[in-house]
Amino acid sequence: MKLDTSGLESAEPVWATFNELADGFSAAPSFELPNTTDFDGFQKEAIQMVKPAKGTTTLAFIFKEGVMVAADSRASMGGYISSQSVKKIIEINPYMLGTMAGGAADCQFWHRNLGIKCRLHELANKRRISVTGASKLLANILYSYRGMGLSVGTMIAGWDETGPGLYYVDSEGGRLKGMRFSVGSGSPYAYGVLDSGYRYDMSVEEAAELARRAIYHATFRDGASGGVASVYHVGPNGWKKLSGDDVGELHYKYYPVMPSTVEQEMVEVAGA
Amino acid sequence: MECVFGLVGNGFAIVAADTSAVHSILVHKSNEDKIMILDSHKLIAASGESGDRVQFTEYIQKNVALYQFRNGIPLTTAAAANFTRGELATALRKNPYFVNILLAGYDKETGPSLYYIDYIATLHKVDKGAFGYGSYFSLAMMDRHYHSGMTVEEAIDLVDKCIMEIRSRLVVAPPNFVIKIVDKDGAREYAWRESVKDAEVASA
Amino acid sequence: MSIFEYNGSALVAMVGKNCFAIASDRRLGVQLQTIATDFQRISKIHDRLFLGLSGLATDAQTLYQRLVFRHKLYQLREERDMKPETFANLVSALLYEKRFGPYFCQPVIAGLGDEDKPFICTMDSIGAKELAKDFVVAGTASESLYGACESMFKEDMEPDELFETVSQALLSSVDRDCLSGWGGHVYVVTPTEVKERILKGRMD
Repeated sequence: MKLDTSGLESAEPVWATFNELADGFSAAPSFELPNTTDFDGFQKEAIQMVKPAKGTTTLAFIFKEGVMVAADSRASMGGYISSQSVKKIIEINPYMLGTMAGGAADCQFWHRNLGIKCRLHELANKRRISVTGASKLLANILYSYRGMGLSVGTMIAGWDETGPGLYYVDSEGGRLKGMRFSVGSGSPYAYGVLDSGYRYDMSVEEAAELARRAIYHATFRDGASGGVASVYHVGPNGWKKLSGDDVGELHYKYYPVMPSTVEQEMVEVAGA
Repeated sequence: MECVFGLVGNGFAIVAADTSAVHSILVHKSNEDKIMILDSHKLIAASGESGDRVQFTEYIQKNVALYQFRNGIPLTTAAAANFTRGELATALRKNPYFVNILLAGYDKETGPSLYYIDYIATLHKVDKGAFGYGSYFSLAMMDRHYHSGMTVEEAIDLVDKCIMEIRSRLVVAPPNFVIKIVDKDGAREYAWRESVKDAEVASA
Repeated sequence: MSIFEYNGSALVAMVGKNCFAIASDRRLGVQLQTIATDFQRISKIHDRLFLGLSGLATDAQTLYQRLVFRHKLYQLREERDMKPETFANLVSALLYEKRFGPYFCQPVIAGLGDEDKPFICTMDSIGAKELAKDFVVAGTASESLYGACESMFKEDMEPDELFETVSQALLSSVDRDCLSGWGGHVYVVTPTEVKERILKGRMD
């Protein structure tokens, strides 16, 4: 077996090849500049273009019966809602889920990449990778790209030989083990609901409702979160999608409209 | 950082505020009362730059008192809120006050009410409102547990929930909070929630 | 983020057969944070004239108060209501008064003029009038609203169909905007009656 160090290599060789050095000229690295007078502005704009999924609410927590994972489904660019049906919970393998916050492409690509690495680990070792191992794999890759503009805020949740596992991993290189996380612009709102309703010995139904409720309240207060609240559960037999509720309908389920107090009857208008 | 929030219950309104006076990385004191008792049945909770906060709330308090002396009747909460907004809006295009305000009051005719007034003078009547970093945690918490017609016990329980959440989730969480209430019997201090005791006992 | 997008808003007015409709969203936000979902952006000036103010909420409130004041003075002096065209000129004048420090609002004016002729118009924040004979839009969802109205508008709609069209245009547009929505508020005005309706909408 070979240790995979590909993630540690930097993407671009900074210096030119050795031959040029032998010629006595070490050509400084060069690349074409965009044809613009405002380079900083251009760069800022370019970065914005590849980072559409900014606003998000995702959460996951460990409880008696496993791990509950939930997320909204909105993608926004500035004030514009570019999609209401984004899949923010990524199925890495039948026993592991990843959540998506930050750059959509970055998250999708590196979760897919992680899925490959997990499968290879499985084939080489004849056993499934632990959640600890998988999250470390992802964290190491992200750390090796630190400062290069990746934008990932993810939770890796799953079930392995040690039971349920939950890690928070981000593109700054951070990796945290925990019982309860929420990531994204709506996370403070979600935490507000999650913290007050959380108990370790919840049933699957209670936990799913708590997760759904936390996502709903986050979508209500946070303009950048919305769409569908999907809830997944990971147990000893792998993950299962429990629900995907349109938040638009969820609101009126939680708060049915009272028979009109605001609606006004027709008003006779005096002739002008 | 600053946390001010409040809600309206059955026959009363409650506001809570942190009590930290902070300058950059330094905490000057942790028992600064940021909720002023405006008149017998009004509370004004303010967050923002400390100079502006004190100057502005005192200015409002004095003018509300002046109105009462001149006319023999107190301003309603709605009137006081509109007056406050007016002063804030006039100042906005000259030398703005950086104060965010939650104005709670009780009127005989309309019962308890809570007004949200931010530093750019947006006025809105709300059931539950919050300012500052604490708002991110307390708003969702209040959305989840609030219902119309809450009792004082339920409301205090909710306020405590919010304080606990802020203390445990906010990096720059203030240690102490003051809770005040206004109902038909008037505006008064309800309780302090202190995790750090300051040297002096009472607030200045 | 532009100051016009600070609170978030969506406004639309549409002309029908001897009638008009004006509709807005109900959100009051501070950037991405939703403060309230019962905010009023449309107000009645008189029975046949309505004004919607998109943009910065505080300026919308200030401007509304000044316009109502001026309209009341006019009513006292002239003993009649203002014609929509006249009112549009008044709004324009008040806005241009602040040419170098504008109100960050884009107004929408809709009214019934002489012989029940509908009048709709919008303006930029310094008072440049833009008259239209079909529909006008404003606010953070204006781009989506243009698309929706452009495809849904028909000439000479009856009040009921007009209400349906305006409501659908509003609701589908705000569903593509983070900063507006959370319900809708529609007025349909005919020579004999004013129909006001609150729309249920997505609350995210």
